[in-house]
Amino acid sequence: MTADDLTIVLVAGLTATACGLLGPFLVLRRMALLADAVSHAVLPGIVAVWLIAETRAPVPVVAGAAAFAVLCVLGIDAVRATGLVASDAAIALVFPALFSLGVLGITRYASDIHLDLDSTIYGEIAFTPFDVVTVGGIDLARSGVVLAVVVLLNLVLVTALWKELRATTFDPHFGRVTGLRPRLLSRLLLVAVAITAVSAFEAVGAILVVTMLIVPAATAFLVTRSLAAMVAVAVAVGWVGAVAGHVLALTFDSSIAGAMGLVCTGCFLVALIASPRGAVARLLRARRRPAPAGP
Amino acid sequence: MDRLGLDSLGALLGLPYTDTVVVAGALVLGVTSGVLGSFAVLRGRSLVGDAIAHSTLPGVCVAFLVLGTKEVAGLLAGAAVAGLVAALLMVAVERSRLRPDTAIGVVLSGFFSLGIVLLTHITAGGNAQQAGLESFLFGQAAGLLERDVAVMAAVGAAGVAAVVLLRRALAATLFDRAYAAAIGLPTRAMEIAVTAFLVAAVVIGVRLVGAILMVAMLAVPTVTARQLADRFPRVLVLAGIVGAVVGVTGALLATRGQLPTGPVVVLVGVVVALLAVVLAPGRGVLSRRLRLGRRRRTARRATALQDPASADPRTRRRLVAANLLTPEGILTVAGEAARAEVAEHLVLWRAWIDHGPQIRLRDAREPDPLDLAGTLDPEALAELRERAGLDGGAR
Repeated sequence: MTADDLTIVLVAGLTATACGLLGPFLVLRRMALLADAVSHAVLPGIVAVWLIAETRAPVPVVAGAAAFAVLCVLGIDAVRATGLVASDAAIALVFPALFSLGVLGITRYASDIHLDLDSTIYGEIAFTPFDVVTVGGIDLARSGVVLAVVVLLNLVLVTALWKELRATTFDPHFGRVTGLRPRLLSRLLLVAVAITAVSAFEAVGAILVVTMLIVPAATAFLVTRSLAAMVAVAVAVGWVGAVAGHVLALTFDSSIAGAMGLVCTGCFLVALIASPRGAVARLLRARRRPAPAGP
Repeated sequence: MDRLGLDSLGALLGLPYTDTVVVAGALVLGVTSGVLGSFAVLRGRSLVGDAIAHSTLPGVCVAFLVLGTKEVAGLLAGAAVAGLVAALLMVAVERSRLRPDTAIGVVLSGFFSLGIVLLTHITAGGNAQQAGLESFLFGQAAGLLERDVAVMAAVGAAGVAAVVLLRRALAATLFDRAYAAAIGLPTRAMEIAVTAFLVAAVVIGVRLVGAILMVAMLAVPTVTARQLADRFPRVLVLAGIVGAVVGVTGALLATRGQLPTGPVVVLVGVVVALLAVVLAPGRGVLSRRLRLGRRRRTARRATALQDPASADPRTRRRLVAANLLTPEGILTVAGEAARAEVAEHLVLWRAWIDHGPQIRLRDAREPDPLDLAGTLDPEALAELRERAGLDGGAR
């Protein structure tokens, strides 16, 4: 394994850590698809940056994208808070609208330049080793540094507000009665997801971020019975996906992000079938159970 | 060839032929996705279309690998099969303890990852035909042919007809599976049938407006219809109508403004849905807020009449304007009467809370606690007044 390979695995692992810290909360709050929504809702941000500053440089583009990502999650939260629209329907209303705005902006003002999500904000994880910054005399992959900061922020958020997040995730009414302000906490979590997603898109591409936010957390959900264990398992599954996915991609000369996603999905399938409450256990139980006695 | 009567429709709307095809396509897509989408949205699976749309990528790749060419029918078949497999897997994943949204997300991620891996292999294979394979799914309504609209209309009509014929059985199956199974309905077959129609609608719709915009086409009609109706058959019909109106309006606006159809249709739809959420009579945000304001004012008025000196300035002004209070803060004759009415209402209400269960009601209706004097039958009211001591010493 070369230094470049190590960088790729580390960047993917940092993505897995950042996503694994937040993913369980999203899965438990039934907002798992938020990352997918954010991945499309950033388009108008990129278009707006192009219209205002005529640039495709990473820093302003990421800032514009982050602004619309936050707008997207807060919009979803506002629609949901009316109590008239379920959260999945709120997601399905807000992000296509933002994406439509982006598409209209491109066709109206920027059709002569090449401006799409793939080329402006979605990074390719294979290129991360070539984009370096020098910190204290050492060359570091820029996306690695960014993601390390994001991991740190998420870690601070989750550990500092652990009790509050846990209480409001499982029982928002209890949270409100005990004065925890579940709406504020929910918004904070959503904004953290938006920031994480946008910074990770830029490093590793959209689909890997979406996968890392949902699949490891879903896997952990199947095999654990406490929130702390769920977060730990989610991060671990993400790392397994990062390492094994990279090995697979090297062996079969395949897409790195795709292979990592497939390994995570494989972990999920194993958990689905073999976990203590999975399909196999259910079948065994059904066989062991005696035939129901008549009245 | 004018199979669908599009020329006459075009003449009616004063549109050139290509625009008429787009409008007709938007109409068909709106009705179909409105009716079929309601099953997904009402059961908390609004984003199922997103996952199906993303899941078609590996299907397209496999179909290309098998066929070796970019033949449309073959690729569409591959997309449809993959979409159906994905939809059925979602149902399977939901049989664990996972929530529908997580199941949708896992299937979306897994299938799209697989699609990307297959795509890199096809690209590396160096087949010159492969260019543009990934954009196969993200069509443009401007390139719409009358044949596409005809196929869409056939699939949509079949789906809508099936839903209309089986609406009771479907509602029972989808909203209360255990009950449906108990009365002997083939629940699994019906679930698969609905899923198959939904997949067909998504695969075709994605060709017309793209994956992301298809998500909104499924969600908007039902979210809107749900604000306006409480019964499932009505929601179903309204969703179809809203889908049609949104589709046609958006398509017409887009042709007027020389803009791409899909985004305009989606923006029109989302605006309509948000307006419905805010303005829906009785249920919407606005009407709820007005109701709350009215109740608050009534409560403030009652408190102020009891104790005019401590009333807040706005309520005081309102009482003065209604001639219940002099500007000096003394109740007028009418004010005294209103105060007595409020006091009596309070006493009645307390008595209802204390003795309500013991009072024999002559009719089956439960009285409105805020208007006991108006909704209780006369005998029961007399009994309550007696228990409250109102007819004895108090008055």
